[in-house]
Amino acid sequence: MQTIERDLVIIGGGPAGLAAAVSARKNGLDDILLIERDRILGGILNQCIHDGFGLHTFKQALTGPEYAQRFIDEFNRLGIDALLDTIVLSLDSNRTLTVSSKKGFIRIMARAVILAMGCRERTAGAISLPGTRPSGVYTAGAAQNFVNLQNIMIGKHVVILGSGDIGLIMARRMTLEGVKVEAVFELLPTPSGLARNVRQCLDDYGIPLFLSTSVFELHGKDRLTGVTVARVDDRFQMIPETRRLVPCDTLLLSVGLIPENELSLSAGVRLEPATSGASVDDRFMTNVPGVFSCGNVLHVHDLVDHVSEEAGLVGRCAVRYLKGEPAPEEAFIPVVPKADIRYVLPQTISGKEDVTISLRVTRPMRNAAVLVTDRDRKVARKKLVRLHPAEMIRIKVKAKDIETAEKLEVSVQC
Amino acid sequence: MENHYDVVVIGAGVVGNAIARELSKYAVSVAVLEKELDVAMGTSSRNSGVIHSGIHYKPGTLRARLNVQGNALMAGLCQDLKVKIDYIGKLTVAQDEEEVKSLYTLKDQGEANGVPGLEILDPGAMEKIQPRVGGIKALHSPSTGIICPYSLTIALAENARANGCRFYLGHEVTSIQKTGDRFDIRAGNKSFSAKILINSAGLYSDHVARMLGIDEYRIYPCRGEYLILDKRLKGTLNVLVYPAPHHGKAGLGIHLTNTVSGNILIGPSNEYQEDPEDYACTADIMAQLRREGHVLLPELKTTDFIRSFSGLRAKQTPPEIGGFKDFVIESREDVKGLINLIGIESPGLTSSPAIALMVRDMVTSLLPLTPKKEFNGARSGMTGHFYELSDEEKADLVAQDPDYGEVVCRCEQITKKEVLDAIQNPLGARTINGIKYRSRAMMGRCQGGFCLPRIVQILEKEFGYRPEDYYLKNLHSPLFSGNMRPDKTRV
Amino acid sequence: MLKKNLVCIVCPNGCDVEVLLEEGQKTEILAIDGCTCDKGKEWVAQELTRPMRTIASGIPVEDGDFKLVSVRTDAPIPLGKIFEVMAVIKEKRVTAPVAIGDILIPSPAGTDCNIIATRNVAFTG
Ligand SMILES: Cc1cc2nc3c(=O)[nH]c(=O)nc-3n(C[C@H](O)[C@H](O)[C@H](O)COP(=O)(O)OP(=O)(O)OC[C@H]3O[C@@H](n4cnc5c(N)ncnc54)[C@H](O)[C@@H]3O)c2cc1C
Ligand SMILES: Cc1cc2nc3c(=O)[nH]c(=O)nc-3n(C[C@H](O)[C@H](O)[C@H](O)COP(=O)(O)OP(=O)(O)OC[C@H]3O[C@@H](n4cnc5c(N)ncnc54)[C@H](O)[C@@H]3O)c2cc1C
Ligand code: SF4
Repeated sequence: MQTIERDLVIIGGGPAGLAAAVSARKNGLDDILLIERDRILGGILNQCIHDGFGLHTFKQALTGPEYAQRFIDEFNRLGIDALLDTIVLSLDSNRTLTVSSKKGFIRIMARAVILAMGCRERTAGAISLPGTRPSGVYTAGAAQNFVNLQNIMIGKHVVILGSGDIGLIMARRMTLEGVKVEAVFELLPTPSGLARNVRQCLDDYGIPLFLSTSVFELHGKDRLTGVTVARVDDRFQMIPETRRLVPCDTLLLSVGLIPENELSLSAGVRLEPATSGASVDDRFMTNVPGVFSCGNVLHVHDLVDHVSEEAGLVGRCAVRYLKGEPAPEEAFIPVVPKADIRYVLPQTISGKEDVTISLRVTRPMRNAAVLVTDRDRKVARKKLVRLHPAEMIRIKVKAKDIETAEKLEVSVQC
Repeated sequence: MENHYDVVVIGAGVVGNAIARELSKYAVSVAVLEKELDVAMGTSSRNSGVIHSGIHYKPGTLRARLNVQGNALMAGLCQDLKVKIDYIGKLTVAQDEEEVKSLYTLKDQGEANGVPGLEILDPGAMEKIQPRVGGIKALHSPSTGIICPYSLTIALAENARANGCRFYLGHEVTSIQKTGDRFDIRAGNKSFSAKILINSAGLYSDHVARMLGIDEYRIYPCRGEYLILDKRLKGTLNVLVYPAPHHGKAGLGIHLTNTVSGNILIGPSNEYQEDPEDYACTADIMAQLRREGHVLLPELKTTDFIRSFSGLRAKQTPPEIGGFKDFVIESREDVKGLINLIGIESPGLTSSPAIALMVRDMVTSLLPLTPKKEFNGARSGMTGHFYELSDEEKADLVAQDPDYGEVVCRCEQITKKEVLDAIQNPLGARTINGIKYRSRAMMGRCQGGFCLPRIVQILEKEFGYRPEDYYLKNLHSPLFSGNMRPDKTRV
Repeated sequence: MLKKNLVCIVCPNGCDVEVLLEEGQKTEILAIDGCTCDKGKEWVAQELTRPMRTIASGIPVEDGDFKLVSVRTDAPIPLGKIFEVMAVIKEKRVTAPVAIGDILIPSPAGTDCNIIATRNVAFTG
């Protein structure tokens, strides 16, 4: 079996992998190999044909494919190697990969690896919908693939479970195609997608959004014929009196994304329960030396601009690691989520450099501040008008403020 | 007449297919009529997949005899058919002295049935077989195995097909007439005629019997629901672990079962049902299974439940009575030429090769059978899947056939070659579920979210499918409503 | 005087906006509260008088390496015109190659926008 050696292998050619590759090359690294299982680069952006990408990076509302193309063009201009139609099947803690494509099944030994595999959607099974198993039940992302890339319409009369962004975007997309979208049902008391998507994808078209309501049963032996929905109480228990049947032939599930970390796990990468992604330091290195993580495989992002920015940083960190400077620090300062914070990232920092902490809150809030403290000493504070679990918040922390820090605590101050 | 056969088998479950394959060793013409668009769409794809040892059944019953015989035949059969089987063994665990007594009773019963290798173990020996198993004593039955039930059912049919047996999928038998010494059968708008009719219609076996005026049977469907766990938990179970029988405790109870592909099943429940096709999963039972799952496997996470499914037991006893009745396998005196298989519930899967021999003997006494020289019991292809091979073997295979290099289903690591093989199956089944059962694509944790779009592309590119041509399981379960933008030339 | 609550859709911040207005022959905005930026304020003014939206869709391509070329409006169109514009998009068929930015439908349904390609589609014959 053929075995090759490479300095840096990047797994995944979505916006994260592309930005990491471009940045690694710009930071002086020659030997880079990006591996993508699809026939094209760009990742999930290829099917996100709606606009709203790149407002930060390009000051323009681009669509997914346009945004991706800008990075692909740069990637190609820099002449970086990519293996397309090629899947990484395994990764071990010594950074040895097995890789498969029509051209062959080979082994690659990498000095550094950047994980950029993105995420996958949760399914009906994972959330265990009772009822029959008819056709007509799709995840919103699979539906998006069929409609936007394969010119296939999946149904005529749709119900959407979950108010994630992909579901909202698909509600509009299908409505524009003349499909009847009956309603969106969301278990939580607040929408999980962005407010602007509720507005421009549902409100504009008169599609109702029912909060604190969920689908409790599927009907139809063959093709879906309807779903039972009901309201839930504040402990998410169904309120039986509110049960009703909603006829439909299609159910889209937009109930969340899970970072695709199978390879990471096989390499011994430690995952954070709160993000389902790797636990990383401020150089985005996991507990496995030389293995870095960025993009949606690290934590689910709502904005591709943040993905590109994060991945750019990771590309640079990987090059620094390969150049052996500076040696990884032993004593890391933990960063921990406190009041109203669901997760923080990175989970440990060196304290030697400025760092941007990404975080999500647990519930919607208004006029509050995110506070970073070290043993009750204020390190950083950011005031925000609106805080929402759907929106990632980033806060900068200066190296000079944390040189002597022992533990950083992040909380919301109302 | 065109559809004229020596033997017609109704129902392409594991029982009907095992019989068809057995008969395909002889110079008789055989057809299998199946109402669904594929084989293994009934109970045979919806069970625990355990090859039982035979300790649980009363000596002298058909179930006891056929189970032990079937278990012994299964190894060779699976080797020929290239079906993966794993004799992992089972521990039946006692928690108190009362239960220990029942272990000895089980052991005696098993030995009377001819079950090999039974041993009562103490905690030290139990621990060696299954760490942290708990309990004070256990009965070890090394001949208990696991198998993929639909792989076996499909393989039996494919091999029967290769040996000349005809399969009519999508042909529901709607009426049967006995005229002279032949049966005239209507199925799927076609007429068939047969000298011998074998009724292995599972949950509908009573219904089929009634078509010939036999009123004495009634099947009471009894649903068993399961949850399937992610492969992440593979390795937590080395053997099957069942609680010892106990007075006051219900039947076999909910337990964990490993599957040959490395998932774990939680189930099955026990709920009588009116409708013989109601495979719904219910909120209550699912919640109960989740709860029990967390007790049995404390490390379980909510995301580990990747799917639920249910199967229906073909019970001969109504809910008020419960319990079990022995299999009915009979060559009718009143309707000569009719062989009925009624109430083939557990251990029907295990028993199927033995049932096939028994039915063959019944056929012989009606119609002398002469062996066919050209019979080839070996199935081509490989046992198991690409992902189970070593790196070197994978590399070799990809070098031989590049379609092995293209992974279509990433969760299960199923290759394009395996998907193509599944699509080009000898039975001509073309449903999405058929592709799923044969290739394992779409069975992983993403449940097709990733690979269904790719499989659709393959079907379109290699087989010219249009959006209207995809069905999940039958003609009433289309996947799509059509093109988003119809081709101008087509409208 | 009338109070109206809107969600600004210009950027992902999705600011909650409260507007005080006088509805007469011509709507007059007295105060806008909640916008974090000027772009947002412009949008609010527009939204109250004549709401505008961008849309994205797909057009079948012949002889290309993709079955569909994704498209969008290159400028916002009146909300009320969306389905008219969609009707025009639905009728359109193109042939590869197509490049990002190519104008595939100029001024659909009489609007001040073009429908442009948002993906490159190579000719495959
Ligand atoms: C439907 C949807 C709508 C969105 N809408 C917006 C929006 O309006 N505005 C915005 O700014 N952001 C939006 N986002 C967010 C943004 O697009 C994502 O955060 C971003 O695409 C994530 O990039 P990524 O590179 O981490 O992952 P991906 O884009 O998912 O890329 C991962 C890549 O890795 C490859 N890969 C995975 N495993 C392997 C393997 N084993 N071997 C080889 N290759 C592998 C995959 O094929 C894929 O190409 C949206 C996201 C989604 C899913
Ligand atoms: C929950 C559960 C767990 C089980 N676990 C085990 C186990 O671990 N080990 C074990 O050995 N056994 C087990 N069993 C039992 C085993 O699954 C069955 O005994 C076996 O599958 C029965 O096979 P069959 O061919 O008789 O029935 P089926 O598989 O149901 O086949 C009957 C076929 O007949 C077709 N049919 C019906 N009517 C018509 C008609 N009119 N015309 C044409 N076709 C028709 C049906 O579509 C079906 O395909 C279990 C069963 C259940 C329900
Ligand atoms: S007001 Fe400005 S910052 Fe707020 S959503 Fe609108 S454009 Fe974005």
